[in-house]
Amino acid sequence: MTQVQLNAVRKEFGSFVALEHIDLDIQSGELVALLGPSGCGKTTTLRMISGLDNPTNGEILFDGNDVSDVPVRDRNVGMVFQRYALFPHMSVEKNITFGLRVRDIPASEVSERLEEILDIVQLTAFRDRFPAQLSGGQMQRVAIARTLITKPSVLMMDEPLANLDTNLRGEMRRFIRELQQRFNITTIFVTHDQVEAMELSDRVAVLFDGRLEQFDTPDGIYHRPDKTSVAKFMGASNIIDGVVGDGGLKTAFADLSIGDGGAFGAGSQVKAMVRSEAIRLLKEPEAGAQNQLSGTIRTADFFGATVSYVVQVGDYELNVDEHSTEMLEPDTPVYLQLPSDRIWLFPDEKG
Amino acid sequence: MSASVRTAAQRKARLLLIAELSPVVIVLFVLFGGALVLAVLQSLGFAPWFGVNTFPDFSYFGALWGSSAFWVSLWLTLYYGFVSTIIALIMAIILSLALIKPFRSKTLYKYLYKLPLMIPYTVGIALVVLMLGNGGIMSRLLAFVGMIDNPGQFPQILKTHYGWGIITVYVWKQVPFMTLAIYAVLLGIGRETEEAAAILGANRRQIFFSVTLPQILPGIVSSTLICFAFNVGAFEAPFILGGGYPDTLPVVAWRYFNDANYAFQLQGMATVVSIGIVSGVILFGYLAAYRRYERMRGRA
Ligand SMILES: Nc1ncnc2c1ncn2[C@@H]1O[C@H](COP(=O)(O)OP(=O)(O)OP(=O)(O)O)[C@@H](O)[C@H]1O
Ligand SMILES: [Mg+2]
Repeated sequence: MTQVQLNAVRKEFGSFVALEHIDLDIQSGELVALLGPSGCGKTTTLRMISGLDNPTNGEILFDGNDVSDVPVRDRNVGMVFQRYALFPHMSVEKNITFGLRVRDIPASEVSERLEEILDIVQLTAFRDRFPAQLSGGQMQRVAIARTLITKPSVLMMDEPLANLDTNLRGEMRRFIRELQQRFNITTIFVTHDQVEAMELSDRVAVLFDGRLEQFDTPDGIYHRPDKTSVAKFMGASNIIDGVVGDGGLKTAFADLSIGDGGAFGAGSQVKAMVRSEAIRLLKEPEAGAQNQLSGTIRTADFFGATVSYVVQVGDYELNVDEHSTEMLEPDTPVYLQLPSDRIWLFPDEKG
Repeated sequence: MSASVRTAAQRKARLLLIAELSPVVIVLFVLFGGALVLAVLQSLGFAPWFGVNTFPDFSYFGALWGSSAFWVSLWLTLYYGFVSTIIALIMAIILSLALIKPFRSKTLYKYLYKLPLMIPYTVGIALVVLMLGNGGIMSRLLAFVGMIDNPGQFPQILKTHYGWGIITVYVWKQVPFMTLAIYAVLLGIGRETEEAAAILGANRRQIFFSVTLPQILPGIVSSTLICFAFNVGAFEAPFILGGGYPDTLPVVAWRYFNDANYAFQLQGMATVVSIGIVSGVILFGYLAAYRRYERMRGRA
């Protein structure tokens, strides 16, 4: 419903620069995840979009209009706070209906919408409780319900699912996604959890230290990160130094063939990423296979569905994830295949 | 074995608790409680040290409560106490809300507003006389700028039964105290619930009355309770700045105690006990109402 743009937004707190320079262009009805380590400025970004804080520099546009003069209460945004910010002196019911009551919505409509949302967030049995009498997850659901009931045109959520158990979390994710699509609400949500960001969002904005590192689809962020920092944050563990040669990559432990050097000419210093789940692990060598290396398992960690191996190849250690149907012991000799189309190159940032 | 170990530990904890509580208990029950019992006994005619012992004798209360002057005095006492508490409260809330916002030289203001706390009441009373009295600074100033012809025309502010002087002193002294309490509560609740309310579409008035005020209620209740109790029992301000007969009850009591006739001591005690009963009933009712409100809101 509303397109949100941040143009060269900068935020300083005294002499501390919380956001350096953010350009973000969020399409109407899009669901964007703000992903980044603690303290990188995620909450600060949301606070400026909502109008609780003003940027030191730059502008924020809703549908192309500068909103710096639009007071918070007229922006028609919704925000689920990181620490809920429930009204401690109001019952669950009163908390949820607050946004409707202050807008003088007729009582009949208020109670209708209340019943609907209570049912969705499964809090009907708790409607007369006070926040102090709720668990963390229940409080979080009250916070979400209180925001959603007002049907905001831009919805912001600051780690809305952090305190929920796995089942409820999945359910709330689907619920948020469905609601977001049904009402076409432009949604920005903050998360620490990459998996959640991947699953839920149309695009992911990765923020480091007050800078926007990459803004791309989940697939792009995961498979084609712009920088090694983004790749590492997204859990990439095999980042290898190398030099681009003729149709190949020369690394400390092997010459690998790569699809095509892309933008990198022969002789460029690069870093290469191979995702641990993209590497195939075999007990016997395969004849004529590309990029096949022999190595020895150093450690094996069991994660339920997968096993995570550290495999020594020459002086180098590679991480490999495999299905846990068969678990190999440390010191087992193995063969690794690195599919050439799964090797992603970055420019060497030190250079 | 473990059971006996536990009881030993429990006994130790109990002893520690008794030791911790004993100073308070001694002050409260022995000194204060003992004095209270004596005061009640005396007001009922038990004062052998003055050669009076007609216990139980309700004539002192009868004489007191039977005179219409007593009821006027009671009204004045409660009126000064109530009005100054309300005015101070409103000012303290406004001041606390201002202090919570970031602004330049806030540190200075946070220091300045507390100044009256460190100045004794008597000094405050003297300042009020200097400022607001006829012939005081205000009257001369107004005469000087020509708003009145001479300082003598300055309206009588002090020594009237409206008690503006008394109220001024109480407010001046108690705004900082209440602000201290309310500001601390405001700091504790933080800004987030107010911000959430703003995002949900509430205007400033709605935010104040339905989000901020209910949350600072504990600070309001405790500080108004203390100030009201003080105002009802205080003596110097109404004595110096009040309108004379009929005086507030503490002044009435003082006049009885100061009388050469010992018999009036008992009448004075009856007055003091009356003050105690009235303020006790009011404060208890206030506290009970607040407790009820808190319980309704799910707090124990
Ligand atoms: N009011 C403020 N005054 C000074 N510094 C602030 C203020 N608010 C935030 N900061 C600083 O700005 C930086 C970004 O804070 P922010 O709350 O946006 O982090 P975040 O990305 O939400 O982190 P988290 O994931 O831990 O919630 C932090 O270093 C923080 O200390
Ligand atoms: Mg945050």
